[in-house]
Amino acid sequence: MHTSDMNTHFDPFVIPFTLGVIYLFAVVVWRYVKWFAELPEADRRAFRHALFTVRSLKAVREVVEEALLHKSILRVNPLLWYMHLSFALGWFLLIVIGKFETSAYLKEAFNPPHVHVFFRYFYPEEPFRFHRGFNYAFLMDAVLLFILSGVALAWFKRLRASWLGMKKTTKHTRGDRMALAALWVVFPARLLAESATCGIHQTGDFLTHSTGMALAGMVGPDALRMMELPAWWIYSLALGMFFVAMPYSRYMHIFTEVPHIFLRHYGIRGGDKPGSADNFQIQACSRCGVCIDPCQLQSAAAMNDVQSVYFLRDRRYGLLTDPVADNCLMCGRCETRCPVHIDLNRLRLNSRTARAEKAVPLTDDRYAYLRGEDRSEGTGKVGYFAGCMTLLSAPVMTAMQRIFDAAGEEVWWADKAGGVCCGRPLKLSGETDAARRLMDYNKALFEKHGITTLVTSCPICLKVFREDYHLEGIEVIHHSQYFLRLLEAGRLKLKASGATLTYHDPCELGRGLGIYDEPRAVLARLGTLAEPKQTKKHALCCGGSVANFVLNSQQENRIATDAAAVYAATGAETLVTACPQCKSTFRRNSALPVSDLAEAVAAALEVPASAHRIPAAAGRTAAPAAS
Amino acid sequence: MVDWGYTINKPRAIAYDANDHTWENALQEAVPVLRSCIGCGNCTATCTAGNFVPFNIRKLQTLVRRGEYAGLRKELDKCMLCGKCRLVCPRGINTRKMIVTLKRLLAQPVAAGIPVAPGAASTAGQR
Ligand code: SF4
Ligand code: SF4
Ligand code: SF4
Ligand code: SF4
Repeated sequence: MHTSDMNTHFDPFVIPFTLGVIYLFAVVVWRYVKWFAELPEADRRAFRHALFTVRSLKAVREVVEEALLHKSILRVNPLLWYMHLSFALGWFLLIVIGKFETSAYLKEAFNPPHVHVFFRYFYPEEPFRFHRGFNYAFLMDAVLLFILSGVALAWFKRLRASWLGMKKTTKHTRGDRMALAALWVVFPARLLAESATCGIHQTGDFLTHSTGMALAGMVGPDALRMMELPAWWIYSLALGMFFVAMPYSRYMHIFTEVPHIFLRHYGIRGGDKPGSADNFQIQACSRCGVCIDPCQLQSAAAMNDVQSVYFLRDRRYGLLTDPVADNCLMCGRCETRCPVHIDLNRLRLNSRTARAEKAVPLTDDRYAYLRGEDRSEGTGKVGYFAGCMTLLSAPVMTAMQRIFDAAGEEVWWADKAGGVCCGRPLKLSGETDAARRLMDYNKALFEKHGITTLVTSCPICLKVFREDYHLEGIEVIHHSQYFLRLLEAGRLKLKASGATLTYHDPCELGRGLGIYDEPRAVLARLGTLAEPKQTKKHALCCGGSVANFVLNSQQENRIATDAAAVYAATGAETLVTACPQCKSTFRRNSALPVSDLAEAVAAALEVPASAHRIPAAAGRTAAPAAS
Repeated sequence: MVDWGYTINKPRAIAYDANDHTWENALQEAVPVLRSCIGCGNCTATCTAGNFVPFNIRKLQTLVRRGEYAGLRKELDKCMLCGKCRLVCPRGINTRKMIVTLKRLLAQPVAAGIPVAPGAASTAGQR
């Protein structure tokens, strides 16, 4: 029947598919070239230098593991993983095996893509085993069945997202809906078309042969002959429609994840301000929705349209609004789980920067009032920066004073009498350049006083000191790290109370800076540590984040109450944290008493060691009497 | 005489009806809880910026809520957005949201006649 086509491999029904493929590749290539050309010169240079290094091999490995095998999703939920795997790996295999089958059969290395996509139509009488005993028909049927099982799951996911381990599934745009509709049709249409052809010619393998024979039995050979061509048309149209809609849909991630992985391995990932590298990240989001469940704005505050997946969607299509850009705790809970490793916090932040640059012009005399100000006190190689929030917590300040005294440390107090904000809260609003003024002020102050170590009680300050200050010759550490050093050096003696304590990882300290162990090591010397259900990398946010510009106090409190319950469930007597902001938020919402690590340490001090250890310290402010 | 840091505001009339209420309304809409402000001044007392320069966030937002916007840009530029004011507010007002909202309103096309240049209502000396 198809003899005349066999030589030319052509039938008008292949046109929609072919046009779709051409359009898709033109758009994708154009975009990538443009985005790449728009990268800063330094990034392009880094790219060229990294191209022929082992980093490329590592990137290739990750492409296989993530873009094809989706290993990260397996960790989230096996069913969801199977669904993604069946589409990604299945389609990939269908193309690769189909290509081999065609080339082996035609004995030519190259042929246009439509030949292998519609192979069964052009060569319906293909024998079962025709090439060195390699049963392509069987393989192709198996792969098709594999994909169809994924399609069935996708339908199912629409109905019951929770069965796939997700409380919420993602919402769609028009491009998505078109692509999705086409995608749902593609594989059932392929099955129908192949079945029709196999039914007519009594070929095919376990799947297409059986469905083909069943079909023939149902409608009869004549009707089947009439059905055949329309079925192939539907298959081709669905493919063409999918390819045309793809660049405007979430499925763009299928291709973009590849350059994204390479750029990540080359260390090219954009910055505080929006740039071309962001395009690759934004378009690499598969909208898998894994980021939705960990978000406490969703679980505790019933906000369902601000999560990273929606943020990226809106930004991708230029629909980003302030309420979405601003409504994020930047807790990083979603970022640690994103299987594609998108820098969600950085992207959220730099969209705020873009907004602020338009809204708030930076005048020359911004913060000019700080010129010449220096309200610091004391002298010492060790500097202490309390930070705005710590200054509001007198017990923490007193505790720090007592600990410094007990250790006999000479301390330079940067901001005891009121200092300048570290700049991070302003930066988080997007005013990066204005924040730089505050940073420059503090940096000059630190350098002027010749400190070599800077201790801070606030993880928000710590993060910005480490990431944005570029302090040379000054080591910046969190007070938890400082305490541990003092303890290990025998400069502090603590009396363990034996109480059961639970510890809250502040977002900026834990996920933000990877400091999990030091606070725990200090606490272990005070009592027994009871870990909450969600801890360390998966610890909950207190809800009081300075990164959020939308929540009202009731909403904050709801998040905090929810989180506090998780700590209370440990059965501990006290909730210890290591951030003044977390402490303040939890104090309003926790059934357990809340204290900062500094307070817990100060309360357990044995004897103020300073008196006999370092006589010179005796003249300074005496430690308040131990209580 | 001991300087306690207090001064008395000069008497002046507020032309409330004559004022433009565009930004005021927009602010109230963005931060409705601002209506519950009791004018306690905690926010101003704790202010990081106010520790260095005459800057009164309580007064600033009170003026805006009356439709008085003079000098708003220059005053807002003093704030460091540190968030201390929010933590001490007894009414739980999201003062940072209030400040960010005001900054954005300033960037929008203004209704005719709103004096945004530094001017009459300086908060200097009135902490
Ligand atoms: S941001 Fe990451 S986790 Fe969220 S939908 Fe996109 S790929 Fe999935
Ligand atoms: S960073 Fe936190 S608050 Fe923001 S979207 Fe992710 S999980 Fe939600
Ligand atoms: S602290 Fe709160 S209630 Fe008091 S004046 Fe400021 S905004 Fe108003
Ligand atoms: S956020 Fe601004 S107004 Fe509030 S305390 Fe800080 S500097 Fe003052």
